Amino acid sequence: MAYSEKILSRSIDPATHEMLARAEELGIETAWDRYEAMLPQCGFGELGVCCRNCNMGPCRISPFEEEGPKKGICGATADIIVARNLLRMIAAGAAAHSDHGRDIAHTLLLTAEGKGGGYEIKDEAKLKALAAEYGIETEGRSKEQIALDLARAIYAEFGKQEGPIQFTRRAPQKRVARWQSLGIDPRGIDREIVEIMHRTHIGVDNDPVNLILQGLKASIADGWGGSMIATELSDVLFGTPKPIKSEANLGVLKEDQVNIIVHGHEPTLSEMIVAAAQDPEMLALAKKYGAKGINVTGMCCTGNEVLMRHGIPPAGNFLQQELAITTGAVEAMIVDVQCIMPALGTVAGCFHTKLISTSPKAKFPGATHIEFHEERAYEIAKEIVRTAVENYRFRKPGQVRIPKEKSECMVGFSVEAIVSALGGTLNPLLEAVKSGAIKGIAGVVGCNNPKIQHDYGHINMLKELIKQDVLVVTTGCNAIAAAKAGLLLPEAADLAGEGLKGVCKALGIPPVLHMGSCVDISRILVACSAIANALGVDISDLPVAGAAPEWMSEKAVSIGAYVVSSGIFTVLGTVPPVLGGPEVTKLLTEGAEGVVGAKFAVEPDPFKAAQLMVDHIMEKRAALGI
Amino acid sequence: MKKLEGPFILVNPERCVGCHTCELACAAAHTTAGTIIGAVLAGERLHRRNWVVQVNSVKLSTQCRQCEDAPCVRVCPTGATYRTETYTAVDQRLCIACRLCTMVCPFGAVHVATTEVAGREKRAAFKCDLCVDRPGGPACVEACPTKALTLKYPTEVIRQATLTAAKQFLGALESQKQLASQ
Repeated sequence: MAYSEKILSRSIDPATHEMLARAEELGIETAWDRYEAMLPQCGFGELGVCCRNCNMGPCRISPFEEEGPKKGICGATADIIVARNLLRMIAAGAAAHSDHGRDIAHTLLLTAEGKGGGYEIKDEAKLKALAAEYGIETEGRSKEQIALDLARAIYAEFGKQEGPIQFTRRAPQKRVARWQSLGIDPRGIDREIVEIMHRTHIGVDNDPVNLILQGLKASIADGWGGSMIATELSDVLFGTPKPIKSEANLGVLKEDQVNIIVHGHEPTLSEMIVAAAQDPEMLALAKKYGAKGINVTGMCCTGNEVLMRHGIPPAGNFLQQELAITTGAVEAMIVDVQCIMPALGTVAGCFHTKLISTSPKAKFPGATHIEFHEERAYEIAKEIVRTAVENYRFRKPGQVRIPKEKSECMVGFSVEAIVSALGGTLNPLLEAVKSGAIKGIAGVVGCNNPKIQHDYGHINMLKELIKQDVLVVTTGCNAIAAAKAGLLLPEAADLAGEGLKGVCKALGIPPVLHMGSCVDISRILVACSAIANALGVDISDLPVAGAAPEWMSEKAVSIGAYVVSSGIFTVLGTVPPVLGGPEVTKLLTEGAEGVVGAKFAVEPDPFKAAQLMVDHIMEKRAALGI
Repeated sequence: MKKLEGPFILVNPERCVGCHTCELACAAAHTTAGTIIGAVLAGERLHRRNWVVQVNSVKLSTQCRQCEDAPCVRVCPTGATYRTETYTAVDQRLCIACRLCTMVCPFGAVHVATTEVAGREKRAAFKCDLCVDRPGGPACVEACPTKALTLKYPTEVIRQATLTAAKQFLGALESQKQLASQ
């Protein structure tokens, strides 16, 4: 079918084109329409020079050279305002990841106490390994006893006052020493976030460099703290991901089954929904209403969590959430926290679809709220699934329009799975890097953003990197974009350069490795640390680079900050709101190199961005003498 | 030959929220990059030709009224400020930044600032040129999120006012016949 220029300009994904046309036909508004209505976006906001931190304001700094206010009412310069605003974004992002980690720790605690409503400890080996890191006795003790001590020790990380956060010590010694000398070795996860809120209050920290350092500190507490806790404890509870095959894109929705989409972030909910959907009672109920089964699919990061542990197919990434409902085939979209558009209730209202909110932290207009509590997890999950199944009879077959597009994918490359694919040691990978078959490794992650043609930034960057023999690890909405484009298949090695292609074919792995959800970027940190330690260098010496081609969330700001703080050069595809502060901009894109051994670059063109990464990787190779 | 209608930009102060978006749109429209971020990234200077001001508690934008007998044109010693059939503008190559135009403009709509002209940094006058070279018309009008700004064609406004008044008069005649008989 031929689509309008407008639709084609919004995405590169055919399933998305089809549903955008359908949305237009039905008069359903999407994020792209709202983005267009928002234009022109406020230039002060784009530059990051507005401050609402006190009620003498709002203030904003004039970008005009010779006139207009150059200082806020308190005297804050553009750089101070930009730095404070950026810090608050980091605080919000670190808080989101870390609260996710806290929820998983809470679930582990309940499970250990025997109060978890259906959870169990699935990866005992990982539990013991983590316990050993924390110095918890494992000999002759039950997994529940160990888990209880571990959950308490990890709970304490959030409220720690003096540090260190245990997992930060997974970083190479040189890295930790650098953090310590800069005063950015985090003391406690919550403490660093709270300190950002304090420092950015009127009249506290007004030195842009000092402010940014605190931002890095809080971000390290996210990447090597909250996020890493979320990843590790999810593995303990739900199993460490292993390679598994699945399919991705809106075509995974089924015309003759009850379609449930789990959307949001925390696997505590989605794991239970997956289990409850296989309950014989629920399957019988589905049959009673004329459905051939219950089809659970995913959206965004909770989709990644159940994808890599159960092969649950993702229906799409961030910008497809409204379009999934527009298929008219979704009985329930079940949401918890983060990246869930408040617009969903309106779209769901056009169909029989029930939008079900579950978190006491997150309620949405037009949603049915069925509150989820870990103590009664399975029971509540069943109630939610029942609500979805009972809604099947209200589906209007005439309104159903499911795109055919879906791609196969191979996912679930946790660090453990990668090491196992390599035959039990990282050596084959290190040899491939040393020989130059693989030039380096790139982590490509992040969201969708209507400022960039949907998936265009993701897919083109991935293709360009593998073409130049850079092995890619991916998480989040980039991972789902890659899955939809068929880049997560071993056969995609044919698109890679000769060196990478050879390595992938020999190991039977895709050139783009799916490592999970956005908190699983912590897996990338662990992998980088292991490689750096194996080579006896710091992470900043490695031929690695990071990118977020279509980022939009505050979590992405925190991620970018901890990736750079960890010594990894990072390219952003959309411009962060910092350009109004020349000193801050210079610090992030130049000065940081001398401080943490890495810096940011901004490049919306995915081909040019990939080249920046390859150039960086080649520089690092030369410095290592390989 | 029919005289062309020269429009100008009119603000509705009841709609203006003082967000300054029109200023940024003006500045961006007059850069090579065309966007604020692009211009900042490229190190281009930003110059607006309009001002959002506040009088007591009322916010409104101000800019050139495109006078037909423009004082700024009359006082310009070098011919930098000129009048076409429909608008007034400044040729910054000819401007010597004598600032006479800024002194005589009753709207305070002309200002002098540093800019780069033909590869040379110099001081020159800036004023609204109605974005005559911009396909979408004035950038400020397009950018205003509250639609406080409109491009007005005075004779069209006059025609509309005349018609409205005539309609009202006819309505009055209906009920008050003596108006016609006297």
